Amino acid sequence: MDVYEGLEGEKVLNLSRLNLDNLDLDDVGEERKRDTQQLFLVYNRFIMLPGSICHFSNLVFLDISCNRLAFICEDILRLSKLKTLVAKNNRLDEFSLPKDFGTMSLEVLNFSGNRFEEFPSEFLNLQRLQSLSLGGNRLKSIPAEIEQLTSGSKVLVYHGFRPECATKLYMQITVQLALQFSLMCNVILRHFSLIIQTQTDFTKLKHAALHILELLYLGGNSITSIPPELANLPYLSYLVLCDNRIQSIPPQLAQMNSLRSLSLHNNLLTYLPREILSLFQLQELSLRGNPLVVRFVKDMTYDPPSLLELAGRTVKSRNLPYKPEDLPGNLVRYLDLASKCPNPKCGGVYFDSCVRHIKFVDFCGKYRLPLMHYLCSPECSSPCSSNPQSDADSEDESSVPAHRMQKVLLG
Amino acid sequence: MEQTEVMKPETLNDLIKVLHQIFSSDTVNVEEVQNLMESYESKPEEWMEYAQFDKFRYTRNLVDEGNGKFNLMILCWGEGHGSSIHDHTDSHCFMKLLQGQLKETLFEWPDHKINGGMTKKSERVLQENQCAYIHDSIGLHRVENVSHTEPAVSLHLYSPQFDQCNTFDQRTGHRNTVKMTFWSKYGERTPFVR
Repeated sequence: MDVYEGLEGEKVLNLSRLNLDNLDLDDVGEERKRDTQQLFLVYNRFIMLPGSICHFSNLVFLDISCNRLAFICEDILRLSKLKTLVAKNNRLDEFSLPKDFGTMSLEVLNFSGNRFEEFPSEFLNLQRLQSLSLGGNRLKSIPAEIEQLTSGSKVLVYHGFRPECATKLYMQITVQLALQFSLMCNVILRHFSLIIQTQTDFTKLKHAALHILELLYLGGNSITSIPPELANLPYLSYLVLCDNRIQSIPPQLAQMNSLRSLSLHNNLLTYLPREILSLFQLQELSLRGNPLVVRFVKDMTYDPPSLLELAGRTVKSRNLPYKPEDLPGNLVRYLDLASKCPNPKCGGVYFDSCVRHIKFVDFCGKYRLPLMHYLCSPECSSPCSSNPQSDADSEDESSVPAHRMQKVLLG
Repeated sequence: MEQTEVMKPETLNDLIKVLHQIFSSDTVNVEEVQNLMESYESKPEEWMEYAQFDKFRYTRNLVDEGNGKFNLMILCWGEGHGSSIHDHTDSHCFMKLLQGQLKETLFEWPDHKINGGMTKKSERVLQENQCAYIHDSIGLHRVENVSHTEPAVSLHLYSPQFDQCNTFDQRTGHRNTVKMTFWSKYGERTPFVR
């Protein structure tokens, strides 16, 4: 029972449920093959993607789900117009893909119900990908390379004809801007002798793959943690991580302003980072089937801060001036990581050493969710944690206006 | 005419016609409606125009308003989509699978003091063409498409009609009244208007 939308008539060829194991379609004319834009080969017996597929030179949509595919041959690369590839319920894994798979112009990729144990690195090169489904596989992790470039690379700009008499303009800009800037500057370089040196090797830079990804479905795998780099996908609006083994959510996910729907049900979450309150676009959030802490656990562990941390805190909280040239690069980066203590009455900062404090926050005035606070020390308690055992009223700064988080699928 | 024999509707339109006849009287024979809906064999070409999916959540698509006696609608569930635990505002609710599978989990009505979450009564996975029935007197339920690879489509009949219900937090039993909206009516997309 295949329900599909799409063009009817000549441009769709439906060869589903025909017990096919090859595609030697002698009765399909060459012209028909060239004209076909959508090809359905669902519920057949293919073990390999047939090489003759490349005769469908204008193919835009291919559905080869519910076969026995263990391997996708290189011939698929010749389908230069292919935008949608659906290969659900097959036997594919990370070794099944041709080497240059990442060069395809695919926009929608659905490999759910296969045997992927690792996120295929070829996917990370698909520049046009908007929708990726890997539900119901065997993935254990999401690679940090999901966003290949880190933001905030530093660009040193020398202005002048020779570096030795140049004025240094030091800028810190996002990598995307840096890329555009360098491309622009390369053009005007000859005219203005503008020399650009960067800490990042620009030869390796390209637009981040998966940059335009909007939908990422990873439900039904064995994923145990989420890399913070996932937050660097600026257009991701639908993220599905249900039915995995995730124990915590990185607070960086709070930067994902594009996120509209987040599915986290049936995991191993005991709390959420408080930053999740800042996802103002979020309309759907599913959390059922997680061992969310109901009672406040008074067990607060605290590792004493290191000398490095104490020094860093002093620099930051007293606003001691420093220039990047004054310090080794690793210390500059360390100072940049300082987080402000969430207690509004405390002006402190913390680096690695922090106290976890599970705070129950009224969510839309209806539910109580355990949100994790980081405090700079056990002494630094939030104003209304005086009676942490009870369901205390939430602070004003933590309560979420009713128009946010409208459809929270809790429970 | 006696309504004792179950007339097997061949098409969706036949089913709707018979439903109109059955609901012209004031009393509802639950078994009769359930058997009738179960006996219709789902044919996608007959309901495809109502099966409009949303990528973020399940959709409700109105098919027929039953002369004011009932609402007949088609719900479209993408992979992983599920509902919250909800009641049915004292109406009869019939749910038939047209495509795919749906998991139904039944819950007891929550007590005032909940420790350890709402009580699960039972759960089952409904198969294609099966028809389930629920009423507030039986309890509450959550419906979800647990498949990560297949979307699901279900046909729902509610009588009397209602446009709001209560949703429940499984951990605390806390309830919240919500207004229900349609993604489309009679095959036409109807964006939610506040």
